[in-house]
Amino acid sequence: MHNGSTTDYDALIIGGGPAGQAAAIELANLRLRCAVIDEQARPGGQILRQPPASFEASHWAEEASYRPLKQQLHQFETQSGIDWLGRRSVIGLQSDGTSHSVLISGANGLQQFTAPHVLIAAGCYDLPVAIPGWTLPGAMGAGAMQTLLKAQGILTGERIALAGTHPLMLLIAAQIHAAGGTVAEVAFDQPFTRFAKAMGRNLGTGLRHAGLLAEAGKAMLTLRRAGVPVRFGRKLQGIIGREQVAGAIFAAGATEEQIACDSIGLCYGFLPQSDLLRQAGLAVEWAAPAGGWAARHDDWMQSSTPGLWVAGETTGVAGAPIAREEGRIAGLGIARALERITPEDAAEQAKSSRTVLRKMAGFADLLAGLADPREALTRIQPPETLICRCENVSAAAIGDVLRETQDANAIKRITRCGMGACQGRSCEHALLRMIARETGQSVGQQPGFTARFPARPVSIGDLLEHDLQ
Amino acid sequence: MWLAEQASPGHGASGQNAGSLHFQIERRFLEREGGLGYEGEQTARLSRIAVEDWSSLETTMDIDLNIHMNGGLMVAHSAAEVELLEAKAAREQAMGLSVETIDAAEVQRRAPYLSPDILAANFMAAEGHADARIIAPTFTQAARSAGARIFTGTRITALRKHGGHFSATMESRGPAQAGGSSRPAKTETRRITAAKVLICSGIWSRQLAAMAGLHLPLFPAPLTMNVTQRRDPFLPYLIQHVGRRLSMKQASAGNVLIGGGWPSRMWRNEHEFDFTRPPALVAESLAGNLKAAVETMPGIVDFDLLRSWTGITAVTQDQLPVAGEFPAMPGLFCAAGGSAFTLGPTFARLVSRQILEQDRAEADALLSVASPARFESLNGFMGQ
Repeated sequence: MHNGSTTDYDALIIGGGPAGQAAAIELANLRLRCAVIDEQARPGGQILRQPPASFEASHWAEEASYRPLKQQLHQFETQSGIDWLGRRSVIGLQSDGTSHSVLISGANGLQQFTAPHVLIAAGCYDLPVAIPGWTLPGAMGAGAMQTLLKAQGILTGERIALAGTHPLMLLIAAQIHAAGGTVAEVAFDQPFTRFAKAMGRNLGTGLRHAGLLAEAGKAMLTLRRAGVPVRFGRKLQGIIGREQVAGAIFAAGATEEQIACDSIGLCYGFLPQSDLLRQAGLAVEWAAPAGGWAARHDDWMQSSTPGLWVAGETTGVAGAPIAREEGRIAGLGIARALERITPEDAAEQAKSSRTVLRKMAGFADLLAGLADPREALTRIQPPETLICRCENVSAAAIGDVLRETQDANAIKRITRCGMGACQGRSCEHALLRMIARETGQSVGQQPGFTARFPARPVSIGDLLEHDLQ
Repeated sequence: MWLAEQASPGHGASGQNAGSLHFQIERRFLEREGGLGYEGEQTARLSRIAVEDWSSLETTMDIDLNIHMNGGLMVAHSAAEVELLEAKAAREQAMGLSVETIDAAEVQRRAPYLSPDILAANFMAAEGHADARIIAPTFTQAARSAGARIFTGTRITALRKHGGHFSATMESRGPAQAGGSSRPAKTETRRITAAKVLICSGIWSRQLAAMAGLHLPLFPAPLTMNVTQRRDPFLPYLIQHVGRRLSMKQASAGNVLIGGGWPSRMWRNEHEFDFTRPPALVAESLAGNLKAAVETMPGIVDFDLLRSWTGITAVTQDQLPVAGEFPAMPGLFCAAGGSAFTLGPTFARLVSRQILEQDRAEADALLSVASPARFESLNGFMGQ
């Protein structure tokens, strides 16, 4: 890869994680020109978030499960024919028949690219969980905690707690411990029996594609040995503190138990990044169990709009190994559409990926079942809990309006929920769950907010510097 | 009184416009050949009434609508534009609108954040803005308290007149069952009759009139609006430009809204425009609108654009709104067309008087400029 300079591409790839890299490698192997756009300076995605090149990173991502991803990253970085457009956000995606235009905001202002094919492999983000105290400094998504550690070597507190339903938090806790941090507790919301049951039912699957679960098991042993409490059936009631996090309160039967911590990572799952999908009007569906909107696609990962392709967590959060195979298939699909490869050859080359996907599907289901956050998310929060943190809209304020209307856009207009800088990324899923509770329908039957340009706030000066004509 | 709304109150143009309360003669009238003529003057007459309506709205309805009437400036960058301002102000004064022309120094004194390149401005003290996002929902609540039955998520699928009364079919879609029942969304159909019907459905008004067998020549105007991040209050005025498409104001929450009538692009299907999808953003409109904003208020170049959105308003060929009774079908009323946010409360009050036959002659006279009677040349061909 090298830093991009031209604007004439066969395909644009949004996202430099495992899916985007895999697609780019396929395209480059077939001598198609592509550019990969990413918000980070260096490729890797969230899973292989790289420290700056100037950092010494001897222990970076050394766990065994990262190995195949690191191999692919190395191939991506050394492959010719791929332009890397790092430190840039895609803020607009519009499709007009055969051409798709992507508006990019970055350190050098705005750039507009058009290409016959665009792959959206934009990944996922921490599922934000609105509980009392979740906006206090020191409280964050566990993924953010891990990113700070991986990319900058930063520990977010002196005593760090993790709470949620996702087994990934065992790995994060172990990484914090390995970096010299103190982990106050790893608190799983679900009872241990759910782990045991899910593992038993899927014993074959779990063992064959152990990846993350094996790492989680190892991490659990490390934590136990280090005396870090890993507890189950711990229902987080709220985060306390004045200026910043001072502790967390868990329900323990009929009583409450408080622990002390100055930082807490919430780990209930991940939501697909769907702002660009929805801005471009692509067909999406609700991604149970954690939620968010996932793109629909065909066998070659083409979305509902010809020429726009999707891969990885954008199609439903299922983990890096699956994302990578989907990215490969999307790359082959684009080459097939450009007639750089015959349908027969494309089918032949995609076979191995399809086999992996079939085998991994069971594991993805197992993991989703284990980590299912829905019980925790449907617990009714105290009325003063903030649902929209950008505009300070409480559950009570939304509740008042919910009796009048169950239309997410109407509630947005009346309460300002979702009108802030995050464009509803934090609050939309929580609002849709409240709407579903009110109507008795399942979540996702009602549409969410209408997605609008820009996907990230951008200065008016930058917008005008770029010749939009 | 029954009210059917196909989505939720404020879902269409009334909730998506940028909330200007503009009472000076609009730039779109000035753009026309001999623009200071009949149409501009006639809407100035309606504006005079609208000023009173907006000034007393919060008191008469006893609700908070975030109405700010701290004045509006329509600015000019060139000598030709200044001439236009002066002619416009003279005509407005003759029509009873209190508009003054102020020079560059006075513009800077009142609004130092405006560009020093601005040569003059028309100032009207009554202009301002209101929070478009809450007006329709708040009116809905007030109507419900007054005894109206409101049906949201409800479309009219048939409307016709038999003898002396109208019959309509209403289709309500779920979620009809509130409160935790797990029944799936279902469609409920009702047939109702009424002595009188008011169509006030923005761009959909044309289709509703067609159901009744009449022409209502309204055309979709897909527009672009923009909003910046919040800032501390600094801008009490509505800002418009006499020669460029621009409106700017700071909403109660602190965000600056930027609009002014820049086009967006309608989606189309095989037969017609598709009103169900938000129009597509047009890059040239976004750039043009923001450029006009920066040239008028240079400091806004450092603000972050939070969101751009599109919405569809309805306009007539003569740019005048439509409000009143169809002579071809007594009992059928309409209130739609351009400036329907600023003029909405006035239309509501006067058309209600027509419907209720209270001081009807006066209401007829005030609304004569907007009367659907001007479509009789078309509706004369429509057999009932």
